[in-house]
Order: sequence, then structure tokens, then C-alpha cells
Amino acid sequence: MARDLAIDLGTANTLVYMKGKGIVLNEPSVIALNRQTGEVLATGREAWQMIGRTPGYIVAVRPLRGGAITDFEITERMIRLLLQRVGVSRFTRPKVVICVPSAITEVERRAVTDAARRAGAQDAQLIEQPMAAAIGADLPIDEPVGNMVIDIGGGTSESAVISLGGIVALEAVRVGSFDIDAAIQSYVRREHGIAIGERTAEEVKLAIGSASPTEDESQAEVRGRDLMTGLPRTVVLTPEEVRFAIDDVVTSITSSVVRCLAKAPPELAQDFLVRGMYLVGGGGMLRGLAQRIEKETNTPVRMSNMPLEAVVMGAGHCIEHYDALKGMFMGARR
Amino acid sequence: MTWLFIIGVFAVAGAFYLYGRRKHRRESGLTNFQRHIDALSPERRRESFDRVRSQNRDDDQWGRR
Ligand SMILES: Nc1ncnc2c1ncn2[C@@H]1O[C@H](COP(=O)(O)OP(=O)(O)OP(=O)(O)O)[C@@H](O)[C@H]1O
Ligand SMILES: [Mg+2]
Repeated sequence: MARDLAIDLGTANTLVYMKGKGIVLNEPSVIALNRQTGEVLATGREAWQMIGRTPGYIVAVRPLRGGAITDFEITERMIRLLLQRVGVSRFTRPKVVICVPSAITEVERRAVTDAARRAGAQDAQLIEQPMAAAIGADLPIDEPVGNMVIDIGGGTSESAVISLGGIVALEAVRVGSFDIDAAIQSYVRREHGIAIGERTAEEVKLAIGSASPTEDESQAEVRGRDLMTGLPRTVVLTPEEVRFAIDDVVTSITSSVVRCLAKAPPELAQDFLVRGMYLVGGGGMLRGLAQRIEKETNTPVRMSNMPLEAVVMGAGHCIEHYDALKGMFMGARR
Repeated sequence: MTWLFIIGVFAVAGAFYLYGRRKHRRESGLTNFQRHIDALSPERRRESFDRVRSQNRDDDQWGRR
């Protein structure tokens, strides 16, 4: 018997929820290929380990980088492998609900659903990430009150106002936590003259990155390659430096939240002051980010319970109640 | 005369049929909406989420990043 699936196809992490079972897969959205033959060598965590450490003939890529489908063929192969790994075959034919960034184009949408159908899905439906996030974060979206959810992922940041089971206002930008890594990378290169990889930059962000000053701040040692001598070198980064390096990215995220608030009807806007806005997504876990958004919007911000899983849990709930929640799928809006 | 009568009967029957269909559609819109909102209620959602939460407690097999 086919078990229906919900997939959060994130730019950084992919999660799969199986109907009646819960989360059955959670790993980085990375695929490693042989450059010459195009053969898939690894996916997920194994492929992630290879980023920036491969010999010339192997490439480890994130096909969804930037919240857009940069390579249709690779994305299709990733979806196919993903479905195979959770047991989908030509004979099982489950229904599949896939969460996508709300900003994706019609062509990208078609590419994702076609890929899922070709990989064995009987029916493939899409749901907007912030909608799934709001369901998964357990916001009372069944009531006529304003619920605001802010999902900051690797490649996208999306804010949405939801009331009575529907999206009232939406604002999405293709900027996310990867851009923070990239900003750290280029800062270290410019100011300290050393080159570091994207994984090292991410480690710096996780260790000492912040969007506003916090208590117990510490410095971090970063190892990279000296641009002049080509030799390995270590530098020390302070939290202030990192904050400065990532400020532009943080500002574009907070401005998109402000724009979303401005789009909300006044009756709902007053609800946020009481209920607060909810942060989900890995990028939302950046130290001091909630406080920074709070300061810039004068509105309380709360962290959801399971920020990394909220989206797939919301989509999973839609697969559990597929018929009743059909109206939430993209393209089903009346 | 008979023709006029027959056409009249058909027209009335047709009107009843269309009215009934519209009413049905309106009602099914209502039940669909209620079903939709009910499926989003905290109780319904708790059933789905408890599955994941208990799973989370049992194993941390997929280490998080
Ligand atoms: N504690 C943390 N502080 C700062 N950033 C974090 C933290 N934990 C995870 N991240 C970052 O969050 C990102 C992953 O978040 P998430 O899994 O929500 O993205 P995604 O859903 O795959 O992306 P998207 O929603 O844009 O498609 C990574 O860039 C990771 O570095
Ligand atoms: Mg996401």
C-alpha cells in the first residue's frame, strides 16, 4: 500500500513526512555528481560532507539554491532519488504534497510536480511554505484573527499574514541564511585576506553570528587559506565584526517583514501586537534576530517550538487531511 | 396550444432543477469550508504533531543542523 507523503523541499534541508508515521527523512538538500558522466555519487548528508572538498571531477551542489530551481534536470533527479529512498516505486503511487517557496514561477512549479509524477507519485500538489509553516507552528489559523509567520530559510525569507485558513498578505524575498554565510566569506576575504569555504562560514555564523548584541558573546578562530601566500592561516573574528559583515543581509530580511506588516489590513494588524509574530526556519534561529525584528517593528516576536520541522509538519497535516484541506494547495484557490 | 403547454412545463422543471443545483452548490461550499476549518482545528493538528513529537523523543537519528 502506498503511504502518502509530504515533502519540504528546502534550499538547505529536505524533510519528508509519511502519512500515519511522521518524519521519515531529514537531510541537507545536496547532491554530488560525476562531472563527466553526470552520474549521481551521493545525496543528502554524505554529499554535504563533500561540499568544497571534492576532486575536479566531482561536483557537490545544492540544486535549489536561492529559492529557485537553478537546474531542472538535477532537481528532478533529486526528487526521484528522494522518493525512491522512502519506498516509492511505480507500483506504490502515493499522493504527494510538496512545499515550495511562494515566489517560484509557474515553470518551476510545473517542473516540481512533473518530476514528482514521473518519479511515481499518483498526484502531486504544491503548498506555499509560509502556509505550511503556520499550520506546523500551531498558530490558530482556523480563527478569524491575524496570524503572522516569518519563515527564514537557507535561500528564502517569507512572511505571511494568515486568517481563517487563507493567506491575507505575503512578502517573499530570495535572501536567506546562505547569504549570511556568503557575507561572512567575503568579509573575511576582504578584511583579513584569507579565503574560507562556505561550510566554514556557516560554522562561524552558528558559533558567533548575531543580528543584534547579545549576552555572553565570544570570539572565534577561523582557519583558511592566505590569499597572498597561499598557506593556511588562522584569524580571530569578533562578534561585532561578524554583525557588521552580515548587516546588509539582516536588513533586507527585516525590511521584508516590515513590508508584509504594511500590507496587512488594519483589523488584523492590531492582533499582532497582542499575539506576536512567529519565527520559523533555521535562519530565524540566528542570535538576536528576533530582538532585532521586534525593535524594528515594535511588535513582539516569538520563536516557534520546532523551527526546522514546522514546514514539513504543516504539510504533513495536509496529507493527513488531504480531502478537507485540498483548498490550501497552490492553484486550488477559489 | 399543446406545444406551448409542454414547453411551459419543461421551462418550469428546468428552472427548479437549476435552482436546486445552485442551492446544493451553496450548501456544499458551506460544508467544504466547515470541513476545511475543522481540519485546521487545534485538536486535529495535535493528532498529527504528537506523532512527530513522540518520534522526536524516541530517537534523534537524524541529527539536526
Ligand atoms: N542556530 C542557528 N543560527 C543561525 N542559523 C542557523 C541556525 N541553525 C540553522 N541555521 C541556518 O538555517 C539554514 C537552514 O534553515 P532551513 O532548514 O529552515 O532552510 P530551508 O527550509 O532548507 O530553506 P528555504 O526555506 O529557504 O528553502 C541554514 O543556512 C543554516 O545555516
Ligand atoms: Mg524552509
